[in-house]
Amino acid sequence: MFRKSERLWGKAPLMSDYDAVIIGGGLHGLATAYYLARNHGMKNIAVIEKRHIGFGGAGRNTAIVRANQRTKENLSLYKEGLELWPKLTAELDYNLMFYNCGNLNLAHSEAALSAMRMQVASARFFGIESHIADPKECKELVPALNISEDITYPIFGGMYHPPGGIVRHDAVVWGLAKGAAKLGVHIHQGTEVLGINVEKGKITSVETDQGTISTPRVLNAAGGYSASLSYKMLGIHLPVSVLTIQAMVTQPLKPLLDHVVSSGAYHCYANQTLKGEIATGAHMDPWPNYTTQTTAHYIKHQAEALSEFLPCLRGVRFMRIWGGLADMTPDMAPIMDGNDPIEGYYTDCGWGYFGFKSAAVTGKYMAQFMADGECPDMLRPFTLRRFEQHRLMGEMAGTVVYSPWN
Amino acid sequence: MALTITCPICGRRNGYEFRFGGEDKGARPDEEGLSPEDWCDYTHNNTCIAGIQKEWWYHRDGCGSWFTIHRNTITNLEAEATA
Repeated sequence: MFRKSERLWGKAPLMSDYDAVIIGGGLHGLATAYYLARNHGMKNIAVIEKRHIGFGGAGRNTAIVRANQRTKENLSLYKEGLELWPKLTAELDYNLMFYNCGNLNLAHSEAALSAMRMQVASARFFGIESHIADPKECKELVPALNISEDITYPIFGGMYHPPGGIVRHDAVVWGLAKGAAKLGVHIHQGTEVLGINVEKGKITSVETDQGTISTPRVLNAAGGYSASLSYKMLGIHLPVSVLTIQAMVTQPLKPLLDHVVSSGAYHCYANQTLKGEIATGAHMDPWPNYTTQTTAHYIKHQAEALSEFLPCLRGVRFMRIWGGLADMTPDMAPIMDGNDPIEGYYTDCGWGYFGFKSAAVTGKYMAQFMADGECPDMLRPFTLRRFEQHRLMGEMAGTVVYSPWN
Repeated sequence: MALTITCPICGRRNGYEFRFGGEDKGARPDEEGLSPEDWCDYTHNNTCIAGIQKEWWYHRDGCGSWFTIHRNTITNLEAEATA
């Protein structure tokens, strides 16, 4: 407490040569840089961030982590991701404030419960703890819940996933930056990528507003800006729509919500932060844009939804609201690809609203991909070519689909 | 300010009355000799312009018209067509 404060990471000069350049100082970029240095001995790495690290989705998400997706390809990835938080906390020597309070996903119809039964069966097949809860158990888990029939969408039950929870998102940004910088990674904030140069089908260099960097490897981890960047700089079209998602917090309250509660029918999820605020999010503004505008429409929407299924929150005031960008794909699954069609060019995007929970584990596998040049089995299903091959993933059916088509 | 869209019939209305209909990608490609890549480009792929784009809208909670407008995706404001 009385120790002189130290910077978590230093400022390095921009070199003219790096073994890998990572575009985007968000969680995916920082995690990939960290694992490239830690697991693959690549120390000569630059993370290029136009603004400051954690400015985008990394610091705007609602910090929820879980592994209750639907398809086998996604489940195994998110399971490992969830198991990584405590390990990463120890490894980075930085408190990521992982609170595995569990996630309760509410069902408001028989059909929703049937879908959850399948999700629970899939989760158990992969050794992920998840079970169906009847309304009585939902009420025991969250005593504030309104399980009466006197609401718009009465609660039929839910899917309870105990190992999920929340992680402090800023801490992950700072912890990974600290860990990566300690291993020699250069983090260049306030530096904009202006172009990517390709010769004979291979990556040769990256143009920035601070100078040209020669490099054989580039990772596009620019989050909401990745699709625009991909087309503008390399002419590669991606199946992405960039939408704004809004979230807000109430004034701080005494502890009343011990779990993350979510409802597809109400388009609302809520959890109580360690500071006591109820953090809640909604669905998205269903038109592509790059603003982070917030609207009264959603404040009203959240107030209506929360006061129905958590009636004790009636009259509680919202304190802050913010927006972030989500890069949505048609099948609600990400795009992770590399060396196709340009050697040395890697993509990690299309995460939509799953970018936070997946960041650490994706960084680990993308680092392996970039170091070996060979796609790890874990990432193979997420190839960009699945869209032209009509092999879209079944993750669409596992979540409430937020696309421009809502 | 939140989005407003100008419907050719109803005039300028709250954006939440409308459903976005996709980037304007021109006419549906001819199925004769159409490759999976070109079909994917038409159905799934987007340009994701940070700036002014031409796009389709549907007045879902209004007159039901389909129409195109130009909109700046950085400001969410309708714009004049660019060259």
